[in-house]
Amino acid sequence: MNRVIKFFSFCLFVYLFTNEEGQAARIGELVDTDPWEQIKRFFSFSDRGLQLSLIGAVLFGAVCGLIGSFIVVRKMALFGDAVSHAVLPGVAIGFMWGMEKDPLAILIGATIAGLFGSVLVQAIVRSSRIKQDAALGIVLASFFAFGLCLIRIIQNHEGASRISGLKSYLFGDVAVIDRSDLIIMAIVVVVTVLLFCILYRPFLIISFDRQFAYSLGIPVRFLDAVFQMFLAAAIVISLQAVGVVLVSAMLIIPAATAYLLVDRMSRMIFMAMTLGIMSAALGVFFSFLGSNLPTGPFMVISSSLLFLLAYLFSPNNGRLTKWFKFISLKAKVRDENLLKLLYNYLETHSEAREGIEILISDIANLKKHNQKNMVSDLKRLQKNGAVELVDGKVSLTKEGLSLASTVVRNHRLWELYLTNEADYAADHVHDDAEKVEHLLSEEKVKELELFLDYPELDPHGKPIPGRVNS
Amino acid sequence: MSFYKIFISPWENHLSAYWPIFAMAFFVTAACGLVGNYLVLRRISLVGDAISHSVLPGIVIAFIVADSRSSLPMFIGALVAGVLTTLLIEMIHSRSKIKQDAAIGITFTTMFAIGVILVSLYGADTDLDLDCVLFGKLDFIASKEKVFLGLPQIVITMGSVLLIIALLIVLFYKELLVSSFDPNFAATVGIKPRFVHYCLMCFLSIVVVSAFSAVGAILVIAMLILPAATAYLLTDKLWLMMLLSIVHSLISAFFGVHITVAFQVSTAPATVVAGMILFLIAWIFSPNHGLLRYFTNSFDLSTFQKEN
Amino acid sequence: MSTESQKCPALEIHDLIVSYQKKPVLYGVDLAVPEGSMVGVVGPNGAGKSTLIKTVMGLVSHAHGWVKVFGGELRDSIKRVGYVPQRESVDWDFPVSVMDVVLMGCYGRSGLIKRPGKMEKEKAMQALVKVGLEAYSKRQISNLSGGQQQRVFLARALAQESDLYLMDEPFAGVDAATEVAIVDLLGQIRDQGKTLIVVHHDLATAREYFDMILLLNMRVVGFGKTNEVFNSELLQKTYGGRLTVLSEIAGEVAKQER
Repeated sequence: MNRVIKFFSFCLFVYLFTNEEGQAARIGELVDTDPWEQIKRFFSFSDRGLQLSLIGAVLFGAVCGLIGSFIVVRKMALFGDAVSHAVLPGVAIGFMWGMEKDPLAILIGATIAGLFGSVLVQAIVRSSRIKQDAALGIVLASFFAFGLCLIRIIQNHEGASRISGLKSYLFGDVAVIDRSDLIIMAIVVVVTVLLFCILYRPFLIISFDRQFAYSLGIPVRFLDAVFQMFLAAAIVISLQAVGVVLVSAMLIIPAATAYLLVDRMSRMIFMAMTLGIMSAALGVFFSFLGSNLPTGPFMVISSSLLFLLAYLFSPNNGRLTKWFKFISLKAKVRDENLLKLLYNYLETHSEAREGIEILISDIANLKKHNQKNMVSDLKRLQKNGAVELVDGKVSLTKEGLSLASTVVRNHRLWELYLTNEADYAADHVHDDAEKVEHLLSEEKVKELELFLDYPELDPHGKPIPGRVNS
Repeated sequence: MSFYKIFISPWENHLSAYWPIFAMAFFVTAACGLVGNYLVLRRISLVGDAISHSVLPGIVIAFIVADSRSSLPMFIGALVAGVLTTLLIEMIHSRSKIKQDAAIGITFTTMFAIGVILVSLYGADTDLDLDCVLFGKLDFIASKEKVFLGLPQIVITMGSVLLIIALLIVLFYKELLVSSFDPNFAATVGIKPRFVHYCLMCFLSIVVVSAFSAVGAILVIAMLILPAATAYLLTDKLWLMMLLSIVHSLISAFFGVHITVAFQVSTAPATVVAGMILFLIAWIFSPNHGLLRYFTNSFDLSTFQKEN
Repeated sequence: MSTESQKCPALEIHDLIVSYQKKPVLYGVDLAVPEGSMVGVVGPNGAGKSTLIKTVMGLVSHAHGWVKVFGGELRDSIKRVGYVPQRESVDWDFPVSVMDVVLMGCYGRSGLIKRPGKMEKEKAMQALVKVGLEAYSKRQISNLSGGQQQRVFLARALAQESDLYLMDEPFAGVDAATEVAIVDLLGQIRDQGKTLIVVHHDLATAREYFDMILLLNMRVVGFGKTNEVFNSELLQKTYGGRLTVLSEIAGEVAKQER
């Protein structure tokens, strides 16, 4: 958390001391330039408007990640969506206050509207038979519709030119962010981060187990209200850049990505803030390349791309990671099964020892395998040093023998365990052991051996080879 | 603003101009509301929200590819996008630890973002713009060529959609009822709940797409849920609930047009605001499930518990 | 019933493995329930009792093994199977009356689209009389007590006229008098030659209610006539802790099989 605060204060410092009241160039006005030129300009960071946009992106990206983490673990994602739509009439009323874009009035108006929306959802759910999902949908759409009506009324009164500032609240335009916006954003971010540093534990407990939080005497209802207020505030400061319609995505997606990647709340929050900043900055970058495009959708798509990467490659749960694990396990199972086959063959025909040669054709017949395939499988084993191939004959090496006897031991131990302890019928245990033999760790094997009192024979009367520790 | 200006003056002149707008608003709200009954009862209202957002890229791509506003490619595009969304949601939440709500949130915002970018990039070529996505084009209907009963083609189409949906619901009332109430049980009487679910999603896509040009992508959720939720507060019978949802559509369309005229706003959001007001009235005053009843009830209950 | 159907058991399960969220719930369950018996499924919490019922109904998918109902796939005889779910599984605010719910039991016999007619309504009414709820037929279902709601489900199952009933804790939240009445009713159904499999959490009453008992704890610990199975050794096995190694390893297996 401290790192985060330092980072923000640094950004703020850089901003306040480098900014001479420059005329912010609208991103949208940079039309038809060579994309390479644009990229160069982007990374030179010399453009005043770009600096403002990026600082804004960093600020709201971080606060969205922070609040979003709690939203995601509390399964409130769609609640966040409803509140984010509900702020629209507040924006319009805040605008009506002085009939100009006064960031403070808009912040207050929108926060109140968002809070009112969330209170209304809860009131409807608690007092009637309407369920949460329908209540969210009702509040979301009708507040939004009311906001649209108000904006139209303002437009009727003031003419379309004055309304241009308001339009950016719908789909987001990072270029309209100016210094006064940034100052308010910075204040909100600092207060939010501080608050969550102080109240981290109670919030964590409430998110994980409400009943337990009650029993500890934590003021759950009050903290819920505080949380909703900061949720509304986080939504409001992100509005200009992302827009009402898509701001919930900035809450949900970075946090969900972090949720995939790490498994501690504190790390998740940090990760979500980083990802939020990254997606916001990437969004600024993409919309900088194009012209006259709303920035919100680009930020959302950037964050979705990050999510996709995490979904596919997350070290623990990524789809592709899992797939690779699956493939490598399959290869391991295939090799081990072949070794086991050799072992069993040796056991029935002579003696399970290293160096005894077997005709490959015999093995292939046994498995009803094509000889060519069998040879190629065995060659792979030879590479691993488990077997030796000499003109049509195969023999186990020392390593091969020990590996094979481990697998066979696992198989027979498991059969014995199922038969003796779990009352399995003898005709069931083989199939199960075929799977389990590849998965037993040495630890589990020791446990089983101890449990079964170091057995010598499996239920079919065959010896259990190679004890791990005798 | 005086009473007169708000309540009376809108009805003093050229009412006939608003007839097609009113008819369209009613057809859209009623068709959405009928399907919405099942969304509310199955507690999947927000799937309606997700679908209505995510069909946007499908519609825009269909516009660009087919180079016209004819409804068939638009419908196909939207259906593809809708199916894709359901699949993505399913994929994310069944194949990772992400919960369903977050999976819905991730999927539909992403789809919608793609849609918005496409509209901004190609909108000019296809006479679609962001206003259309937000407000719909209900107000422009009046200027179209009248075909029947003073109604333009698009209104007639929407009316037929409403009729078809109503007919399907009457025909499959029993199947929809059982699979919504108790899907596990439905399977034991030979009704396939998954099949019914997908049929319902198909109905949903049809109404969302046909409503798109009139009310845009975001307000559809209100049309889907408000009538059903209001009716749900007022009755304990499913068939009556459906009937009431149509009545709700009728009244909200009427006052929607009124608000439009009185305040010079767009009809789609105005209809939603009118519908919301009706919902609030029902919520507060409902004889059995309302807010007032809730307060008196909780009072009754607490005294009752003390006596025991 | 023909001799053929008497040969094949009403419900047969072979080597069933079911896991939920990568943890095994049922592991290698073998079972053959003869027709015309009333089986109580007993076991500690988390033993997989409800899962067993749900797996038979195809509501939970299994990783391994098979289930046969009346000697064939469940699909082929699904209309002969009545399922009484746990009360919490449905939304009791749903805008339907008691009669509507019981009528749902008749939907299996009437075809698609066709509306329930007079005959169905009479049947539903008879079922309601049997469970003693005829006075409530017009009520909305949320206005019923827990025990009454349970009886509505029962009436619905009766209206279904099935040959095999699977009931998931039909006595949960039911007062003692109602419980006795329900058991009586179940006995009558059994006497008509139908098969009942009832999940029951109360060991004390299970002995008197059922003529067969299935002791379940992730695997079948004991299955047979009540007085044969109800001995302290088997009960000790059922309730005395779980096989930790088995459940851990089975978890590993489930993980690999996704």
